[in-house]
Amino acid sequence: MIAFEYVEPESLEEVLALLEQHGEDAKVLAGGTGLINLMKQRLVQPAYLIGLRQLARSPELAEIRPNGGLTIGALCSHRTIETSALIQHRLPLLATTFRHVASVRIRTAATLGGSLAHADPNQDPPPALLVLDARIRIQSRHGAREIELGDFFVDYYETALEPEELITTVVIPPQPADTGTAFLKFLPQTHDDYATIAVAALVSLDGDTIAQARIALGAAAATPLRARAVETALQGQAPTPQVIHAAAALVAEEVDPLADFRGSVEYKRDMAVVFTQRAIEQAVTHARGASGNV
Amino acid sequence: MASLASVGQPAGHVEGPSKVTGQARYTADIRLPGLLYGKCLRSPFPHARIVSIDTSQAKALAGVHAVITGAELPDRRIGRFFLDKPVLARDVVRFVGEKVVAVAAESMDIAEEALTRIAVEYEALPAVFDPVEAMQEDAPRVHADTSTYTHPPVPDFVHPGDDRLYPDIPNVVSQVFYTHGDIEAGFAQAAREFTHTFTIPPVHQGYIEPHASVVQIEPDGKVNLWISNKTPFVARAQFAAALGVAEDRVCVNTAPIGGDFGGKGSLMDGVVCYHLAAAAGRPVKMVMSYTEELLAGNPRHPAVITLRTGVDANGRIVARKARLVFSCGAYSAFTPLHTVHGSVHAAGPYRMPNVEIEVFRVYTNTVPAGHMRAPGAPQIVFGVESHMDLIAQELGLDPLEFRLRNTLIEGDAAPLGEKWKKIRCKETLEAAAKEAKWGAEKTANRGRGIGMYDREPGAFGPSSATLSIAADATLTLMTGAADTGTGSYTILQQVVAEELQVPLESVRVVQGSTDSAPWEVGAGGSRLTHMAGQATLAAVQRLKEGLTAFAARHMETPSEQVAYRAGEFVNTNGQHLALPTLMAALAGREELPLRYTGEYVAEDPMDVTSFCAQIAEVEVDPATGQVTLQKLTTAHDVGTVLNPLTHQGQVEGGAIQGVGHALTEHLIVQDGAVTNVHLGDYKLPTSMDIPELKTVLVESDAGPAPYAGKAIGEHSNVAVPAAVANAVFDAVGVRLMDLPVTAEKVYTALREKTARSRTMRRGNS
Amino acid sequence: MKSIQLRVNGQAVERDVADNTLLIDFLRNGLDLTGTKEGCSVGVCGACTVLLDGQPVSSCLTLAVTADGCEVTTIEGLTEGDRLHPLQKAFIDYGGFQCGICTPGQIMSAKALLDENPHPSKDEIQSWMMGNLCRCTGYYKIIESIQAVADGKVST
Ligand SMILES: Cc1cc2nc3c(=O)[nH]c(=O)nc-3n(C[C@H](O)[C@H](O)[C@H](O)COP(=O)(O)OP(=O)(O)OC[C@H]3O[C@@H](n4cnc5c(N)ncnc54)[C@H](O)[C@@H]3O)c2cc1C
Ligand code: FES
Ligand code: FES
Repeated sequence: MIAFEYVEPESLEEVLALLEQHGEDAKVLAGGTGLINLMKQRLVQPAYLIGLRQLARSPELAEIRPNGGLTIGALCSHRTIETSALIQHRLPLLATTFRHVASVRIRTAATLGGSLAHADPNQDPPPALLVLDARIRIQSRHGAREIELGDFFVDYYETALEPEELITTVVIPPQPADTGTAFLKFLPQTHDDYATIAVAALVSLDGDTIAQARIALGAAAATPLRARAVETALQGQAPTPQVIHAAAALVAEEVDPLADFRGSVEYKRDMAVVFTQRAIEQAVTHARGASGNV
Repeated sequence: MASLASVGQPAGHVEGPSKVTGQARYTADIRLPGLLYGKCLRSPFPHARIVSIDTSQAKALAGVHAVITGAELPDRRIGRFFLDKPVLARDVVRFVGEKVVAVAAESMDIAEEALTRIAVEYEALPAVFDPVEAMQEDAPRVHADTSTYTHPPVPDFVHPGDDRLYPDIPNVVSQVFYTHGDIEAGFAQAAREFTHTFTIPPVHQGYIEPHASVVQIEPDGKVNLWISNKTPFVARAQFAAALGVAEDRVCVNTAPIGGDFGGKGSLMDGVVCYHLAAAAGRPVKMVMSYTEELLAGNPRHPAVITLRTGVDANGRIVARKARLVFSCGAYSAFTPLHTVHGSVHAAGPYRMPNVEIEVFRVYTNTVPAGHMRAPGAPQIVFGVESHMDLIAQELGLDPLEFRLRNTLIEGDAAPLGEKWKKIRCKETLEAAAKEAKWGAEKTANRGRGIGMYDREPGAFGPSSATLSIAADATLTLMTGAADTGTGSYTILQQVVAEELQVPLESVRVVQGSTDSAPWEVGAGGSRLTHMAGQATLAAVQRLKEGLTAFAARHMETPSEQVAYRAGEFVNTNGQHLALPTLMAALAGREELPLRYTGEYVAEDPMDVTSFCAQIAEVEVDPATGQVTLQKLTTAHDVGTVLNPLTHQGQVEGGAIQGVGHALTEHLIVQDGAVTNVHLGDYKLPTSMDIPELKTVLVESDAGPAPYAGKAIGEHSNVAVPAAVANAVFDAVGVRLMDLPVTAEKVYTALREKTARSRTMRRGNS
Repeated sequence: MKSIQLRVNGQAVERDVADNTLLIDFLRNGLDLTGTKEGCSVGVCGACTVLLDGQPVSSCLTLAVTADGCEVTTIEGLTEGDRLHPLQKAFIDYGGFQCGICTPGQIMSAKALLDENPHPSKDEIQSWMMGNLCRCTGYYKIIESIQAVADGKVST
């Protein structure tokens, strides 16, 4: 392992001050499951590592709170989100999605903030959070800002986060009525793998028509993405098999997958269509049986 | 035979307590005063000339104690059979991952940092990666001159073939022919002929313990070696030869092995580790990272397999010609034999009077290949059993029916002429078919497929074991074999307990170092239950004889009138003498403990084999190509099962390795370099990836191991890939000619099939 | 260098560690607790699993400094004197290991499972144990071993 200096401030203010002071030379350490691996491979070589462990006492960073929708602290672990009664009740989509990440052992350590800032396009939480229209609160010494998650992912392992900024909270707005959701992670190899393609779908119905649809994909491009054309094609339509099939086909134009050992560009594109269709179908089914929960 | 008390009972591993409590010290766990950590800089080029190496910056780093390059070492090549591999590259590197410079430092971090400060200048050379291309006249030569490379004679336990070593074909290490009958006459009888070619990529053994070595040099020069190697005595011989010293100057110490599967039979980093320890004047430990394992371990040989088969009008096979091309990578040093001996299975367990198998091992600029569980067999059996289904399909026969027409039956000679007794091939296949409900109704996109294999128990090399009895009558069996996790120590414990009719717990089994244990080949080739088992039996026999003589003297009875029975001696007068009493009486008079060594060499070639029939049931998602293995039936023709618990453990573990080989595992090699270099990218099956497993044992009473046992370690992994590929064909009608059976390949094949049938329909209209 | 105080297997430990020392190396080299094994070094195999305040973590991805103030439990902490933990006994009796290299990690993960859910179903065991690779057993007997403890079939 490379050499660095580890600091573990007691307060958010101190963390922000250190980030400001060291800029590019510093990295914050949350669960470490992403960062330590990158450091072992010498892909990231911070001189200062700022441990966020002590901030777990701060409710803002560590709690899940109802607030019209929900706010989730950036330091909440995947396991906390997966097992939270509040989330299972209000946003079952998130519980399902986080349960699909890696193994229990990784989920115990890995945090929500880390899962976003890490920005590996193959990760599972981003598409689910995208269909929930999540916003993220970012703070630096100069203040706080809140941006849409869709604007956060810039490129492969690249986000809109400035070196001196920290993610504090993820805000999930209230979801429309009669909404159903689905998260599908295509795992043609082993169960501990990253997705070959991942699709999250949210559909809300107004009687027999789709009032709103949100579709997002992971492992489909250099960043997680919203499939806007698919969403538009569904809007205001009755969710018939033909409509869903035709809408899902449009995702082929929206994805821009990277070839790797999980699949070629063509295969991932085709699978994006298959799983988009399946995710919409599932979300519609859930919406039909929905009791107001997402 | 009297009823068996220990043998045949399930028994947990004798070394269990040390392993489940974390007390067992594997090689990587060894700690010594003054220990340094070694690491190697490896080649980024598949083939290049080393122009210069600058190690000055590394040497200057605080905490670095030795930096060595190939040029500084004696020009001595190492290997298990062919001595063709330099300890560190000299002048030329031949694969991505070849060791070029070695460093020893106070900590692993410092050693790694030192590697980043070494500058090596290379000049790239033309490289060749594909073994078939490497055999062409215009191919780059991986080794410019092999004339100085040495090797021992081909050992006689290997199936006799026409062996040509370094023949005059580019890059070919060995060309071997196995023939039986008259191949031309055979094909002349054929009503139809079929030829197919299959490709199998390299796979890693996947043991969770990466290779580790520790070397400590004593003040008088004696070398202590700890190494993840399953054959300590063979390792000692190779290590001493590599150092240029006598064998008694080396002691290979014991440490448990964290998984072998054929991959832990080489010296790996042992010799570099020695040179670092010598240069630094301190003991050195080297532990490969898993990235190094995947990049530069000793994976299973990739292969290109072409099979041509002639079948008569009744669907009976009359001739088989096989051409097997194995890439051995840049060096041949990691295999104990000149060829890939699984090649003898290219005819399968079928009656075929005329056979010709031609096998090549070929140098390429890729990671050197080694052995893995049933070396060569899974590659070949994937070809053979897929080929069987392809032929059955052409003949319009059910795959089971076609096999039943051709399987060996009692009295048949095997394809290469072996005369097996108690042939249970058909019975095993039928048992599998029954359990798997072959022929039963299937829902859409479900399919079943068969794979078959046979393998005889290992019988090579001598085995020996020493049984000692102490003053308090405790029994200790010392073996020089390493238990790689298969449970062989437990089997040996059971043999002793059985023969002496004492409780299992009263027998200890210890592994001795090469200084303390009697000579033993060690684990490999499914030989330990048979060979070490027989040696143990012989040791018990000697102990019984020796103690009977002492007992007779003590009881003042002629030896012939004294018998041993369950912990005591009884004479014809009805007098009893308990073992502890005898031992107590011997204390002070004899040198205790008493030691009895048993030796065993199998005189005759094996006259039994074990058949294995496997049936996979899969479900294919036609929209994605995803293959889900629902159920796997594995039927085995076994001898006496000495320990049902560990026997079943071998069946299960092997089967799941087969599942990995079938569906997910392959080293992805691009431009000669392995690209999936961590365990997140090399996909081993997890607890969520296992099918419903049904095991059927077809027991017989003919085996060379004690109590008529056979071997089981290298059976259940072999035919799974073929069974899965055949099942996929049965499910959705697409045939894969290469491994692994990935969703994308199935999906692509399905699309091509649909496109073809559309064109045909258009053509017909 | 940082000074850390923690409890390891119930014992108070106070040590100086380099900032970049991983928990696995601290345990193995610093405390000579070599029962914790290193396989993949990237969080996949689970051989290095230890419990940090009762929760399973990969010690290969955890810095020793972040265990400051915590309770660490390793495989060595499971035995009480000579008495094996029921999971340890079950792994022997039910064939839950072969080479044993993955076993400390398997048992620590299984312990975390049973601590949280004393009577898991077979499916729950399979999915919880997914992060612990075993190349020897094919998992069937690992699952059986854990099931046996959950079913109260193992006494020590
Ligand atoms: C074996 C393994 C398997 C995995 N499988 C999956 C999978 O199947 N699906 C999946 O989605 N993911 C998977 N992952 C990735 C895992 O989800 C990420 O590593 C994890 O989410 C990162 O979170 P962390 O808390 O550990 O972040 P860290 O590793 O601590 O940090 C990651 C990055 O985020 C930054 N960061 C952390 N917190 C903040 C914050 N609050 N504000 C700003 N920056 C921050 C860090 O500086 C660093 O750059 C896997 C990882 C491993 C090791
Ligand atoms: S060594 Fe830590 S998870 Fe594999
Ligand atoms: S027992 Fe060997 S890897 Fe699990």
